Amino acid sequence: MSTPVFSVEGLWKVFGPKADRIPTDPELSALPPADLRARTGCTAAVRDVSFGVRKGEVFVVMGLSGSGKSTLVRCLTRLIEPTSGTIAIDGEDVRAMDKSRLRELRRHRAAMVFQHFGLLPHRTVLDNVAYGLEIQGVGKSERRERAAEVVAKVGLEGMEQRRPSQLSGGQRQRVGLARALAVDPEVLLFDEPFSALDPLIRRDMQEEVVRLHREEGRTMVFITHDLSEALKLGDRIALMRDGEVVQLGTPEQIVGSPADDYVREFVRDVPREQVMTVRTAMRPASAEEAGNGPAVAPTATVSEAIEAVARAGAPARVMDSGRCLGVVDANALLDVVAGATGLAVDTDRLGGAIPTAAGTSEELV
Amino acid sequence: MATVTAAASRAVIPGILKVAAGRKLLVLALAAAILVPLAHTRWASGTWPTALTVDLTTPLTDTSTWIIDNRDSHPLFLYFLGHVSNAVVLAVRVVYLLLLAAGWAGTTAFAALFAWRVAGARLALGAAAAFLTCGALGMWVPTMQTLALMVVAVLASVVVGALLGLAAGLSGRMDRALRPVLDTMQVLPAFAYLLPVVLIFGIGVPAAVLATVVYAAPPMARLTALGLRGADKEVLEAVDSLGATARQRLLTARIPLARKELLLGVNQTIMMALSMAVIASVIGAGGLGDRVYQALASVDVGAALAAGIPIVLLAVVLDRVTAAAGDGTERTGRAGWAYALVAAPAVAVAGRLMGRLDWPDTWVLNIAEPVNRAVDWMTAHLYSGVPVVGGTAEWAGRFTTWVLDPVRDGLQWLPWWAVLLVVAALAWLIGTWRTALTATLAMVAIGVLGVWEPSLDTLSQVLAAVAVTLVLGIATGVAAARSDRVDRALRPVLDIFQTMPQFVYLIPVVALFGVGRAPAVAAAVVYALPAVVRITAQGLRQVDPAALESARSLGATPAQQLWQVQLPLARRSLLLAVNQGVVLVLAVVIIGGLVGGGALGYDVVFGLAQGDLATGLVAGAAIVCLGLMLDRVTQPTDRRTKKGA
Repeated sequence: MSTPVFSVEGLWKVFGPKADRIPTDPELSALPPADLRARTGCTAAVRDVSFGVRKGEVFVVMGLSGSGKSTLVRCLTRLIEPTSGTIAIDGEDVRAMDKSRLRELRRHRAAMVFQHFGLLPHRTVLDNVAYGLEIQGVGKSERRERAAEVVAKVGLEGMEQRRPSQLSGGQRQRVGLARALAVDPEVLLFDEPFSALDPLIRRDMQEEVVRLHREEGRTMVFITHDLSEALKLGDRIALMRDGEVVQLGTPEQIVGSPADDYVREFVRDVPREQVMTVRTAMRPASAEEAGNGPAVAPTATVSEAIEAVARAGAPARVMDSGRCLGVVDANALLDVVAGATGLAVDTDRLGGAIPTAAGTSEELV
Repeated sequence: MATVTAAASRAVIPGILKVAAGRKLLVLALAAAILVPLAHTRWASGTWPTALTVDLTTPLTDTSTWIIDNRDSHPLFLYFLGHVSNAVVLAVRVVYLLLLAAGWAGTTAFAALFAWRVAGARLALGAAAAFLTCGALGMWVPTMQTLALMVVAVLASVVVGALLGLAAGLSGRMDRALRPVLDTMQVLPAFAYLLPVVLIFGIGVPAAVLATVVYAAPPMARLTALGLRGADKEVLEAVDSLGATARQRLLTARIPLARKELLLGVNQTIMMALSMAVIASVIGAGGLGDRVYQALASVDVGAALAAGIPIVLLAVVLDRVTAAAGDGTERTGRAGWAYALVAAPAVAVAGRLMGRLDWPDTWVLNIAEPVNRAVDWMTAHLYSGVPVVGGTAEWAGRFTTWVLDPVRDGLQWLPWWAVLLVVAALAWLIGTWRTALTATLAMVAIGVLGVWEPSLDTLSQVLAAVAVTLVLGIATGVAAARSDRVDRALRPVLDIFQTMPQFVYLIPVVALFGVGRAPAVAAAVVYALPAVVRITAQGLRQVDPAALESARSLGATPAQQLWQVQLPLARRSLLLAVNQGVVLVLAVVIIGGLVGGGALGYDVVFGLAQGDLATGLVAGAAIVCLGLMLDRVTQPTDRRTKKGA
C-alpha cells in the first residue's frame, strides 16, 4: 500500500500547566478526563490518537462537541501545536518542520475550511478566494483569474464583487471552500464546515463536496458531529470520544459492528439498510443460484438489494466483474434490517492498525 | 471572629457579616478604631496637619529656574527637546502658512470637497457653511491658527497612539502595562497636563501642541489595541491556515479588521485634540481659544461668543465628517477623488488671482456688540428682581450660600482622618480594596502636598455639581428610555453637546450668572449632563427584554417595572453614569478657575499667569490626585470606554 497522505502516531494534545509531562507519565495518561483535570489542572483534548489518511479518500473524524476532533484537525497543520506523537505528511515529519517549511505546507499542501467560514469581511468574494494565492505571492491578475475559475466551480458566478456580509450562510461557505480549493492543495481539511447551516443548505453543500470529490479525487479530512453526514461522506470514519478514537472503520463497520456500547448507542437510529452493503448478508451460492437471478454489485446497499430481490421474487446474485461472489436472499436481507446480523471483520479492507470490532456480541442484543 | 461577643448579639453580627458590604465596613471600622485615636492625639486638627505636609515650593522653583537657565545650553535641550520644540514650531508654521496661502476660498473648498468624498453632499454643505461662518464672524485667522495647531497635534497623536496601540494589540504584556496608564490618563482633567509641559518647554506653541498630543493620543492607543485584540479568532486562524507570515497577517487581516476601531480612534483623537487645543490657549496656543480666554478675562461675552461659535462649528463638522468616514459606507470611485483633488486647488488659485486671500473686512459680521447689548439687558433685567422666580444672579448667589458654602465648610470642618475614612469606605463599597487603597492614597497625597483646603473647596464644587447632574441626568435618562419621542427629541441635542469642547461651556454661564463658583458648577453640570443622560438611557434600554416582559405579564405597573426591574438591572450602567459624571464634572470645575471658580483651577491659572510654576505644579498634582480619587471611589468593577465612544 502507498504511503498515507497523513499518518498520525500516538498523538497527544494536552492543554494546561506543564502539559508535556502527561503523555509520558503512564499513571497520568491513564486517568479519566475528570480525574486528570482535578489532579493536574490539565485537559487532554487528544489522547494517543493514531490513524492514516489514504490518498484520495474522504476520512471523517466524528464525535460530539468536546471530543477533541477540532483540536485534532488543527494539530495536522500545527495550527495547534501537538504535545507529543508524530504527524507525517507524505512521509515528511510535520512536527520537525521549521517555520518556513510549515508555511509551505499550509500554503500548498493542506487547506482548511472553517465552521464559521473565517472570511475577511472587507474583501470581495473574488479577493477572498484569491487570498491564499495572494499570501503565496501570486500576481494580481493571475490570482484573480484562477480565483474566478474556482468561484465558478463552486457555483458562485456573478457574485464575485459581493462582500461576505451580502451572502447567505451557504454561499459564504462556498466562498470558504473556494478559497481552500484555489490554492490547489493536496489535502482539504474541513472543520465542521456545515454545522452552522440550515438543513436543506447543508444537504446541498454535502452533495457539492461529494461531487467535488468525485470529479477531482482530492484527499479530504472531514470533521463533523453529525453521524448522517459522516456516513454519507466518509470512506472511513474515526469516531472520537473524550479525545480518544473509539472506533475506526468504514461506515458499514461502524454501523454493523460497533466497537462498544458508546458507538452502539450512537448508531442505534441509523437506517442500517442504507449503510450496510450486500456483502454483509451474502452467503455462498449454490451452483443453481450462481446461474440466474437479478445481479447486484458488491458495493450495493442492502436497501438496493431488497428492491431487486422483491422485484424478481428470487435471491439476487452479487456480481463482481462477471464473477459471482455469492447470493443474498430475502431472509438474510431482512436480518440486516432488523439488526440481527453482525459484520464479519473484513480484514483486507481495513488494513492493519484499527481497533477490532466486537463482532459477534451483536447477537446478544 | 464573633465568638467573643455576647450571645445576645450573636444573632445580629453574623447577619451583618453575611453581607459583603457589612464585612468591609466592619474591617474599616476596626482599622479606624485603632488608627484614629493615635492620629488624633498626635495631630489634632480639623484640617490636614502641617506636620505631615511636605513643602515642594523650593525644589520646584529650583527645578523651574534651572530649566529656564539651561534651556539654551544643556545638552538635553540642545540635542533633544530643542529639536522637538523646533520641529513642532516649524510644522505648525508650515501648515498655517499653507492654509493662509490657500486663502479662505481654497480652504473652504478643500474642506467641503473632502467632506463630500468622505461623508456625502450634506456634510459637504455643512462644512462649507461652517467655514464661511467662521470667516463671517471675523475669526478666519484665529480659526486657521487653531486648525494648524490641530493638524500637527492630531497627526502626532494618531501616529503615537497607533504605535502604542499596535504594541498593546500585539503583545499581551505591553497591553497589561499600558492599559492602567491609559485608563488613568483618560480620567484626568485637561488642566493637569498643562503645567508639566510648560515646565519643560515654556509657554508657547510647542508646549500647547505637546500637551494636546499627550491628552489626545490615549484614545487612539486604546481603540487601536481594542480593534487589534477584538479581531475574529476564526478569521485569524483561517489566515494562518493559508500559511500567512506574521507581517501578512497583520497587514492583510488584523489591521483591516480593526478599521472601524481605528477610524473611531481618529475621531476621538480629533475631538480630544480640539478640546485641548482650545484649553491650551492658557499656555500660548493662540487661535480661537486665546480669543475666548482673553474675552472671558475681561467678561466680554460678545467677543467670547464670536470666537466660541467657530469652535463649536469646527467641533461639529470634524466629528460628523470623521464619524461618517468610520461608518463603513465606503464611496468607491476614484473619479470623485480626482475631481475633488483638482477642484480644491483650482478654487484656491482662482481666489489668489482675484486677490481675495484674506477674508474681506466688509464681510465681517460684528456680533460682539449686539451680544453684549443683549447681555447688558440681561444683566439689567434678569440678574435680579424678576418677580416670583428671582434673577439668575440671585439663583447663583443662593446656590453659593445655601449649597456650595455649607458643603465646602462642612468638608473643611471634618477632621482630615474622617475624610480619608469616608473616601476609603465609599471606594471599597463600590469597588475593590485596590480602588479603595488608591483613592485613599491619592487623598493622602493631596494632604501631603499642602493643598488640603483648596482641594476640598474644589471637591465641594464637584460634589454639588455631581448631585445636580445626577438628579437631572438620571431623570432625563429615565424619560428618554421610556419614551421614544423624548429620545428622538433629545438625540440631536445630546449629539451637539457631546461634541463641544469643555471651554465653550464657560461662555453662556458667564453671560447668565456672571463670575464665581456657581457659574463654574453650572458649566460643569451642562457639560456632564449629556453623558449621564446617554448612559442612563442606554442602560435602561438594554435591560433584558425577557425580564421586563415577565414583569409585565405578572401585571407590574410601569412604576413597578421601573423600580423593581429596570433600575436594579441597569445598576452597572447607573454606576458608570456616576463615574463618568464625576470625571466630566471635575474637568470643567477645574477650568472654572478661569471664571472665578477659585480653588485648584485658579492656582493653575495663577501659576501660569505669574510664572509661579511651583504653585501651579502643586495644584496640578493635586488635580491629578483628586481625579484619581474621584474616579476610583466611583469605579464599578469594570469600566467601558469614555464619553462618546
